[in-house]
Amino acid sequence: MNRRSMLLATLLSSTLMVQAFAADVPEGTTLAEEQTFTYRVLDEFSSFDPQVVEDVNGSEVVRDLFEGLYNQDAAGNIIPGVALSHSVSEDNTVYTFRLREDAKWSDGRPVTAGDFVYAWQRAVDPELASPYAWYMELMSIENGAEIIAGDLPNTDLGVFAPDDYTLRVELSQPLPYFDKMVSHATTFPAPRWAIEEHGSAWTRPGNMVSNGAYVLTEHVPKERSVRERNAMYWDDENTVLDRVVTLVIGDDAQALTRWRAGEVDKTEIPAGQYPTLKEEFPDEAYALPRLCNYYFTFNLDSGPEAFQDVRVRQALSYALDRDVIVNAVLQGGQFPAYTFTPGATAGFEIPRVDYAGMTQAERDAKARELLAEAGYGEGGEPLSFTYLYNTSEAHQQVAIVASQMWKQKLGVAVTLENQEWKVFLENRGAQNFEMARGAWCGDYNEASTFLDLLTTPSGYNDGQYSNARVDALMAAAKSSQDTMPLYTEVEQILADEMPVIPVYHYSTNMMLNAAIQGWPVDNVEQTWYSKDLFKVAE
Amino acid sequence: MLNYTLRRLLAVVPTLLLLIVVSFYLMRLAPGGPFTSERPLPPAVMQNVLERYGMDEPLHVQLWTYIKNIVCCFDFGPSFSQKDRSVNDVIAQGFPVTLTYGFWSAVFVLVCGVPLGIIAALRHNSFWDYTMTGLAIFSQIFPNFVLAPIMVLLFTLSWGLLPGGGWNGGQWQYVIMPAVALGTSYMAGVARLTRGSMLEVLNAPYIRTARAKGLPERTIILRHALKPALLPTLTYMGPVFVYMITGSVFIDIFFSTGGIGQDFIDGAYARDYSILLGLAVLYAMLTFVLTLLLDLLYAWIDPKVRSQL
Repeated sequence: MNRRSMLLATLLSSTLMVQAFAADVPEGTTLAEEQTFTYRVLDEFSSFDPQVVEDVNGSEVVRDLFEGLYNQDAAGNIIPGVALSHSVSEDNTVYTFRLREDAKWSDGRPVTAGDFVYAWQRAVDPELASPYAWYMELMSIENGAEIIAGDLPNTDLGVFAPDDYTLRVELSQPLPYFDKMVSHATTFPAPRWAIEEHGSAWTRPGNMVSNGAYVLTEHVPKERSVRERNAMYWDDENTVLDRVVTLVIGDDAQALTRWRAGEVDKTEIPAGQYPTLKEEFPDEAYALPRLCNYYFTFNLDSGPEAFQDVRVRQALSYALDRDVIVNAVLQGGQFPAYTFTPGATAGFEIPRVDYAGMTQAERDAKARELLAEAGYGEGGEPLSFTYLYNTSEAHQQVAIVASQMWKQKLGVAVTLENQEWKVFLENRGAQNFEMARGAWCGDYNEASTFLDLLTTPSGYNDGQYSNARVDALMAAAKSSQDTMPLYTEVEQILADEMPVIPVYHYSTNMMLNAAIQGWPVDNVEQTWYSKDLFKVAE
Repeated sequence: MLNYTLRRLLAVVPTLLLLIVVSFYLMRLAPGGPFTSERPLPPAVMQNVLERYGMDEPLHVQLWTYIKNIVCCFDFGPSFSQKDRSVNDVIAQGFPVTLTYGFWSAVFVLVCGVPLGIIAALRHNSFWDYTMTGLAIFSQIFPNFVLAPIMVLLFTLSWGLLPGGGWNGGQWQYVIMPAVALGTSYMAGVARLTRGSMLEVLNAPYIRTARAKGLPERTIILRHALKPALLPTLTYMGPVFVYMITGSVFIDIFFSTGGIGQDFIDGAYARDYSILLGLAVLYAMLTFVLTLLLDLLYAWIDPKVRSQL
């Protein structure tokens, strides 16, 4: 280990050590007798298997049942989980994690580096065929892509256990945010003995062995799941909640009714109801910034000829009054967006893009001017196109308002079309659209999770935007220590070329029983752990 | 009668086969597949996933494997959306739930609907008749998606008497609202049907004969009038009962019971072909068995039908 990486390792371990996080109960708090937290989920979970789970709600449960190398604190920073610290080689391609020796599985066995090696090899194993194998690919672990493609055995993955409490990971290319990625469920350890004994039924209560703060004690699919404290968890003495219950409630309004009846402590707010609920329950209705964007994408491949003209794209973007959409239509604490990346993203400051600084009247004037210059609109060729979105009341409202703005300000005729989710995805993915709704939630808290989407090779670049400079900048960001200037330049290019129209950045709207405390309101990924929560007496 | 039953059962096999083949291909006509997602899977990952579920094979091979697994091992395949579970697991968990509230709903329909109809018929054009008819029309115009939220507002939010949803192993508190919400409009239908046919039967010559013989009114109604008066109700209840025990999408979603109605809608959205097909087969089998039972019941009640079997 050379001096620089040693220094880095010391720095990291010291910062990480101080912030070990658990339920932070202030002195003098009277805790509720019954420490049970019940919350609503919309659907049944895809799985409780860390390497297989692919839905957000499933990951929340898995984060309680298992613990990975790092956890997140209330602000979204990484803090020690099973790993206490790590060091990085000088070329940023070898990460060495030091694991705590007091971590145990729920059956009493120690959690070792071998459990991580097994889990990571499992995640890329073509036989398990986890859809989240892409996440491992994204982590750039040596040989990951080759194993997924079936060209190498999964034992060739660049992850090693030199001893029980040291985990060494070799990357195929430097990845500055690699350490942030190991708080994700796919990277959690897996108990080989339980999986080999029970096969895919290992995730059932009774069969499951886990290393998190909780163990699964009951699971009735589509109805409820219950997890209870894991006495073997290394930090069990600082855990307060005894029992966490999820109830599957498919209907938003009914979920709210049951929240009002006190049957659940937490639920989402049905679209458009935030202002009234905030008035009725000021301490229990939340609108928190969230790591997601909402945008309109032009089909630059086979869309209308007019979209090839940057002035048309800019005009449509400028004429969109985002304040009206956010404040009068959605009313849920969303943020008007002029950049692709949400301002809430860690280490990202919204760069100054010209049109964001104008007043809406200035933007409208500029929009008319640009469209006229391009030869469309009043006095020119009439402009009309179809806007495609997936069926949903909220998306419909946004679509109607946007199309009216374009009609009134620019004389553009927009036909609205909505499709069921998978039909929509299929058509958008095959470029069967003119303009379509797009939205993205960050996979990890770093700007590249958004900006990578608009690079040429991205599988999600449905508008087929391609700019060599953007591609080069994003490639450089992969190994750069100072990424902000690169991201700023990318955002500037996007504002100039307008391949997509950013509309707003999301917020999380939820009702949370005031007795439940410790919720990480500042964590923009809404990565929460039941072990950090507690219930006060009412 | 035995001969008839066997013949009917034999006809089930080709019908089911046809149903499987047609549904198998029809489902795949819908755009998108079980693994279409917002983040398109990289080709190598997609290939692994397709291989794992045998979906890289040509369609007719997949169909053949599917049928083979059902015939040999009663295995309806893995679920694509609930990755740790098979279709058999999903149905084994959801169907008893649906069956339970569906059964109690049918009991509610019959126990309330039939007596209401009889009373109205016996007190023809009286206060009771009008009240019953009014009640029946009233509950018929309240579809379950209007009734259920009203019930929850009253019984859960205002009076705190019943839980607003969930199943909890089928405890009675959790069964009442789904069963009543599902059954109310059918109950009204049964009451009106029973009233109508009872009135008709009471005017029949053989009832007049019975009255002329001096039989007590109770014997006339229970022994001679009720059985024939129930025939139309039975015809009505057959398909309704199948519908009830195979799960109402609305009831399952609204009350979060965990029944199979919810699987059907989730399966459709997720393009979970194996769940959809498994449920279609289950629905078909139940329909066959129950209509057969119903026909046999007819024969038992009506000698005219019996002689035709």
